[in-house]
Amino acid sequence: MIKLPSNDFPVTLAFPPQGHWTQPHLALPCLKAWLQASGYGDVQQMDLSVEAFDHFLTAESLTRAAAKVQQRLPLARFDGDRLPLGQMRAWRAAAESAASARSIIGRVESAKAILRGQDHPLDSDRGFWDPDRYVPAVRTLYHGLRLVSAAHYPSELTPHNFTMSYSNDSSEDVLAATLDEEQNPFIEFYREQVMPRLLERKPRLLGLSVLYGSQLIPALTLARMVKAALPDCHITMGGGFLAYIGDKVMSAPGMAECFDSMVFHEGERPLLMLCEALRLGEPLHDVGSLAWWDRADPEHPVSVKNMAAHPIKLDDAPAPDLDGLPMDKYFSPQVVIPYDVNRGCYYGECTFCTLPTVIGPGYRTRSSETIARHVVELRDRYESTHFNFITDCMPPGMIKELPEQLIEAEAGITWWADARIEPKAYDADGARRLYEAGCRKLLFGFESATKRILKMMMKGQSLKSVVEVARNCTDANISVTFYAMVGFPTETREEARATLKFIEEHADIIREVSLQTFHIDEVAKTYKQPEQFGIRVLDAPGDLALYHDYEADVGMTQEEAAEMFEEMMASFRRNLAIFSGDNIFYFMQKSHYFLHLAAGETPQGFSGRCADRTSARAEREADPELTVSEGLVTVPLGFSHSDAVRTLGDPLARAARPDFLTGRYVRDADRVAEETLPPLDPKQRFLLYDPENGEFVELRDGGVRVLAALREHGTLGALVAAQVRAGASPAAIDRLEQFAAELHRLGVLRAAASTSPSTPVLASARG
Amino acid sequence: MNQNKDQRDDVENEEASEESGDTSLAAGGEALDLEGLDLTVETVEERISPSETNVFDK
Repeated sequence: MIKLPSNDFPVTLAFPPQGHWTQPHLALPCLKAWLQASGYGDVQQMDLSVEAFDHFLTAESLTRAAAKVQQRLPLARFDGDRLPLGQMRAWRAAAESAASARSIIGRVESAKAILRGQDHPLDSDRGFWDPDRYVPAVRTLYHGLRLVSAAHYPSELTPHNFTMSYSNDSSEDVLAATLDEEQNPFIEFYREQVMPRLLERKPRLLGLSVLYGSQLIPALTLARMVKAALPDCHITMGGGFLAYIGDKVMSAPGMAECFDSMVFHEGERPLLMLCEALRLGEPLHDVGSLAWWDRADPEHPVSVKNMAAHPIKLDDAPAPDLDGLPMDKYFSPQVVIPYDVNRGCYYGECTFCTLPTVIGPGYRTRSSETIARHVVELRDRYESTHFNFITDCMPPGMIKELPEQLIEAEAGITWWADARIEPKAYDADGARRLYEAGCRKLLFGFESATKRILKMMMKGQSLKSVVEVARNCTDANISVTFYAMVGFPTETREEARATLKFIEEHADIIREVSLQTFHIDEVAKTYKQPEQFGIRVLDAPGDLALYHDYEADVGMTQEEAAEMFEEMMASFRRNLAIFSGDNIFYFMQKSHYFLHLAAGETPQGFSGRCADRTSARAEREADPELTVSEGLVTVPLGFSHSDAVRTLGDPLARAARPDFLTGRYVRDADRVAEETLPPLDPKQRFLLYDPENGEFVELRDGGVRVLAALREHGTLGALVAAQVRAGASPAAIDRLEQFAAELHRLGVLRAAASTSPSTPVLASARG
Repeated sequence: MNQNKDQRDDVENEEASEESGDTSLAAGGEALDLEGLDLTVETVEERISPSETNVFDK
C-alpha cells in the first residue's frame, strides 16, 4: 500500500447533474473510500447534481430565470390566429411562468426547508410529515424547475430527468450541446459555482460518475470546461450509462477534446491504478478496464482500450465514505445512507437484465458480519439510522443471516432494498425477522402475471410464490413494491391487462408499482438473439445509439405498449392509494415514503391515510365559509392551457421530445405529430396558479367573474346571500355552489379552518 | 389577431396580477348572471412518464 502526504495528489470525484435529489448516490463514496484506504488522502467528492438543484431553486436564480423567460418567451409572441404544435410547448412554458413565477420565487426557500425538515424547530410540526405542507412544497420545487427549463427552452430539467433539443444518440449533437449557453443551464452553473473551486484546488485527476443518460451532456459540459481551464488535470469518466455506450463515445470524433480516459465497469481498482500511473508519470497501458486517448501525436489522439481489471474482493472494501458530500442539501429531513451489500446478481438468468454490462460479470458479496459492522460505523459517523441497501437482490442465506447480525450488533437502523422472490427466505418467520432488523420496504422484480412471459424472461418464479412472499412481508409490516414491465416481446394487450388485474386484485399487499416499458439496448439478449423472442431489431441512427426500435409479428407494437403503459398507470392512479391524487409524490421522491415507514407508520396505515386524503378532497363541498385562496394569481390567455397540456401529452407529441428513458428522438416524430395533431384555435381562457397548492387550474371569463365577486364578498355564504337578495333563482345558486365545490376540491377555494396550520395526518408515530 | 392580446399585454406589464387587484372583471355587489356565465373548470392531470415512476432509477 502506498503512503502519500494527503496533498500530494489531489483527486476530485464529481457526480454531474442530473440524478435524484433526495439522497446521495453510492458510486463516489465507494471510490473515495477505496482510494483513501489505498493511501490517497486528498480525495474530494462533489454531488453537483444536488448542488445544481439547490442553486437553481433559490429566489435569486429563479428571479433571473423569470426575467429570462420574459425575454425569450414573451406571451405576446404567441399572438397568431392558431397555436401550432411546434409552438405549443414554448407557449405553455410562457403561460405557466407568467402565472407562477412570482409565487414560486416567494416560496422556494420555505419549500426546500419543508422537504429538509428545517422549517420548524419542533420535529413534530415539521412540514415534511404533513401532506398538506409536503405536497405543495414538492410541487413548488417541480414548478421552479419548469421556470428554469423555460429560461433555457427547449431544454427540460425535472427532478427526474434532463433533456435538450440535442439528441444523446449523436456525438455531434452532444458536443454541440456542451457549448450552447442558451439552452444548457449547466454552463453558467459550472462557471459560477464549480469552476472557481476547481481552479483553486487544481486536482490532478477529475473523475466524473455518469450513471444515467441524463448526465451525459452535463458531464461532458463540465469536462470540456475543466479541460480548457486546467489542461494538466486528467479527466476520466465512468459509471453505468458509459458502460453501455463507452466504446462508442471513445470512437466519436471530438470527444478527446473533453476528457482523457474512461473506466469501464467497477471503478475502484482501475481508478487506483490510474492515479498510480499518473502520479508516477507512467504510461496508461497497464491500467485495467481503462479506455484512453494516446496523445503521442497531440493533433491526432488515438483511442486505446486496455484489458479488463480484476474486480475487487468486495468484503475487503471499506465502508463508503460520504465525507464532503453536501448532506444539508438533499431534499429529505433525514439522510438515507446508500450501502452496497453485494454487486451483481446471484441468480443472473433473467433475459431482459443487462446488469453484468454495468457492474461487470460475476456476483460478489460482503459478509453479513461486515455489513453489520459497516452499518454501525456509518450510523454513528453520519448520525442517521436510515439505509438504502444497494443490491440487485440478496441471496436466501443473507436474508436469514443479515437480520441476525444487525440485531446482534444492535444496529437499530431501518432500511429498504431491492429483492428477488424467494419463498423459502421470505416465509412468515423470515419476514418478521427482517422487520425486527429494520427492514421497512422491499422492491421485488415481479414483471408480469403471465406465465408465458415469465418463462420467456426466465424469471424462475411462480405467481403463487409471488403472492406468498408479498403477503408474508405485508403481514410483517414491510411495504412491498413490485417492478413490472409492459411490452416485453410478443406480450399482448390481454396479457398486460392480466398483469394489471393481478396487481390490483392484490392491492392490499402491493403498495407501489414501478412500471416500465420494455426497451431494447445493444447489450440485451433480446438484441443479440432477436429471433428467440420473435422480433426484428431495426437499425438505429446516430453514432452513440444504444436503444433500438423493433418490429414483432406477435403481440403489442412499441406504440401499443406505450399506450398500455398509460392505461395501466391511469388504473394504478385510481386503484392504488399511494398513487391516488397527489399522494403519488411520495412514490416519486426516492425514500420519502420509506421515511414515513421508518418513523413508525405501517404500510397499511399510510395507504389508508392516502386513500382518506384523496377521498376527503373529492368529497369537499360548497362550505359557506369558503374563501378565495390567498395569493391566487390569474393570467388571461389566448389559448386553452388544458388543451395544450392534453395535446402535448399525446404519445405522438411526446415522441417529438427525447424519450424519457433513452434520451433519443423518434425519427420524423415532430413532422408526424405536427401533421396529426391539430393546432389550437384561439380561446379566451384564464390560467390560475394557487401557490398554496402549487397547482394550475383553468377557468373561463364567467368563472373569473364569480371568483372576483367572491373575493369582494369575503365568503361563499356572503356571496350566495347577496345573490339571493338580488333575485337569483335556486338553480342559479345551485350552479354557483357546484362551481365553488369544484374549486374547493382543486384547492382554489378553501374553508377558513383549513388556512390554519393543519394537523399532520401521515406518520402519526415518528421516532 | 388574437382577441386576448391586449389583456395579455396588461398582465405582462404588471407581472401577472394578484387577483385582489382584479375586481374589474366582476361587478362587486351586483347580481351575477349565474345561469348565463360559463363556469367550466379545467384541470389536467399530468401524465407520468415511465421513468418518473421508476424508484430503482431516479
